[in-house]
Amino acid sequence: MSKRKIPLTALKAGETATVVSIDAVFGRGGGRRWGFEKRLMDMGLTPGTKVTVVKSAPFHGPIEILVRGSRLALGRGVAERILVEVEE
Amino acid sequence: MTEKRLRIALAGNANVGKSVIFNYLTGLHQHIGNWPGKTVEKAEGTLHFKGYTIDIIDLPGIYSLSTYSIEEQISRRYIAVEKPDVVINVVDASVLERNLYFTLQLMELGAPLVLALNQIDIAKRKGIEVDVEKLEKLLGIPVVPTVAIKGIGIFKLLERAVEVAEKRETSKTVVKFGKEVEDKIAKLVKTLEGIHYWYPPRYVAIKLLEGDEEIEKEMEQLNPGVVATAKKISKEIEKLHEHSCSTVITAERYEIAGRIAREVQKLVSPIKPRFEERLHNLTTHKIAGYAIMVFSLLAIFYSIFTVGGYFSDFLNELFYATEPLFYNFLGAGTFGKLAWSMMEGVIAGITIALPYIVPFYIILYFLEDSGYLSRIAFLMDNIMHKIGLHGKAFIPLILGYGCNVPACLGCRIMETERERLLAVFVTTLVPCAARTVIILGLVGKYLGIEYALALYIFDLAIIFILGRLAFKVLPGEPTALIMEMHDYRWPHLKTVLKQTWFRLLEFIKIAFPLIILGSFAIKLIEVSGLLELVASALSPITVTWLGLPLITGITLIFGVLRKELTLIMLATLLGTTNFAEVPGFGPIQMVVFTIVTMFYIPCISTIAALIKEIGWKKAILITIFEVIFAITIGGIAYRILILTFK
Repeated sequence: MSKRKIPLTALKAGETATVVSIDAVFGRGGGRRWGFEKRLMDMGLTPGTKVTVVKSAPFHGPIEILVRGSRLALGRGVAERILVEVEE
Repeated sequence: MTEKRLRIALAGNANVGKSVIFNYLTGLHQHIGNWPGKTVEKAEGTLHFKGYTIDIIDLPGIYSLSTYSIEEQISRRYIAVEKPDVVINVVDASVLERNLYFTLQLMELGAPLVLALNQIDIAKRKGIEVDVEKLEKLLGIPVVPTVAIKGIGIFKLLERAVEVAEKRETSKTVVKFGKEVEDKIAKLVKTLEGIHYWYPPRYVAIKLLEGDEEIEKEMEQLNPGVVATAKKISKEIEKLHEHSCSTVITAERYEIAGRIAREVQKLVSPIKPRFEERLHNLTTHKIAGYAIMVFSLLAIFYSIFTVGGYFSDFLNELFYATEPLFYNFLGAGTFGKLAWSMMEGVIAGITIALPYIVPFYIILYFLEDSGYLSRIAFLMDNIMHKIGLHGKAFIPLILGYGCNVPACLGCRIMETERERLLAVFVTTLVPCAARTVIILGLVGKYLGIEYALALYIFDLAIIFILGRLAFKVLPGEPTALIMEMHDYRWPHLKTVLKQTWFRLLEFIKIAFPLIILGSFAIKLIEVSGLLELVASALSPITVTWLGLPLITGITLIFGVLRKELTLIMLATLLGTTNFAEVPGFGPIQMVVFTIVTMFYIPCISTIAALIKEIGWKKAILITIFEVIFAITIGGIAYRILILTFK
């Protein structure tokens, strides 16, 4: 059983994975790192949480996920920064 | 006997039925305004119950009590500083875990609490039953099951709330984090002894460990030593868990919420397949979803502007029929004219704004409450990102083509102040129906429809460029869509209507004085014979820079009241409606004139809407910017056109 760490956007529709961490370091002095990370955490995307990707909107749009019993839409830029682990 | 007063605050996540409960409790005794110095909406109301006069305040719908958004800051400050007698925490029984995460934070804040376990009917349909007594025991606060849209449980909720308020009873249960974190909190609480601060020590300790920027800054003033200790302790936790301290605490809090939720929930088999589920899949489908969206938006657009247009014309005729009466009564002299100008302001307000704002508000709230708005945002997010906005801004932007006023008001659905500012700015650039009249009536009629179309495309390009620029220039977090898509549900009609009514009142209060004053001022210039003078004063801009006839200066001033007036006044002042005959007003001038009118200033009603949504200062800034921008671009266009076509 191997584990790989990939961004949430790499999951296919219907796949489930576990959140590992959130990459909240933005380039060039970096924006408000704390707010971004905290907001995702507040929505329930804490490390160890299971997320299921339902689908993604066309033209590289946002993705729809199920987390902690509710449905969230995440912009692609956001989802790319959420690192997850898939068990194979 | 002195009046017995109580204060109740409603708090909870977005879309849990908070405003339905608020409307049930307050009825027509409510007032919508803004929080002092902020552009966040504040809804207050009163009610009489068991000899008490109860003030109810509806706090913004939020997911946390951190400082990510102004809404969160406002809410926690209100609870900690103003100390309402009781906080009713409205939670969605069908998404209990996420909602309890917020409840736990309210408990940390030490507020006297009552839980309204709302939407138990929806939860049941999803196959979730909640053990109310067990939940009460675990949290140590009263829990009242409710179905707000049917009014079920509201009376009992109020009774329990008053009981808690009378004793100002807070939960005796302290929801504990893991042992390591608890030890650190205890250590930090000790260092906080003797420091006078409006938040309770335990809350401050937790927030400092979470790295809360606002509390850090304020504690730095009171006692910098504590902040340093907190930083040191959080480093220790970080080392131990290999995650930031804020992550550790948030995760533990969610674990507690999840544990409680699992303990009180009994899962029975849901009613399958649920209609909401199927509707969701259909409306977010990659083909059907867009088809449904285009169709719904066209239907909305069409209905708002046919219904609105019909009422607008009807009211216009009705009011203008009183004009002779007015002059008979007050005389046709200066006084009569000035008085009529104020009346005209009222008419402008009633006929332009109201017929469109009312249906727009109703539809907007309907879309938002039902959940469809978030699905449209999901589909349009990527495209809106190109101008630095996320999907939710799509609706106000599209409706801006009809009228900018309701479109600006609709921008309040954006979460952060920055997003709202960007959205209203872009919205004011969208060519509304009045500007379309000018584009079609001048350029379209005399130069051909292809030129009118070219101007539309030009406008879109400008929106795109300015939107991007504003996005780059404005400081703040990158726009990111993080949005809950709650289950579809039928909106509560009474709440939608009340929300519309009270927001309308608020708009009238801001807009009408401005419109009336504006139309009075312009009339004053006219009757005192200063129009020519003003036109000459503007000639360096109009004649020299823009290459337009002198007289257009006057029409541009009238256009501030309503944009189609620029064309109407042009006809009146020139004494002809055939603009092709006018010397010095050739095709180039027509194009330049139209470009300037398109951008030069939001009309006075739009300015009022801007003031309501983003405050005086920013509204004035946007207005000034657009005036300068329109003149600059008009002059450049003039020179390019002269070079190309001469």
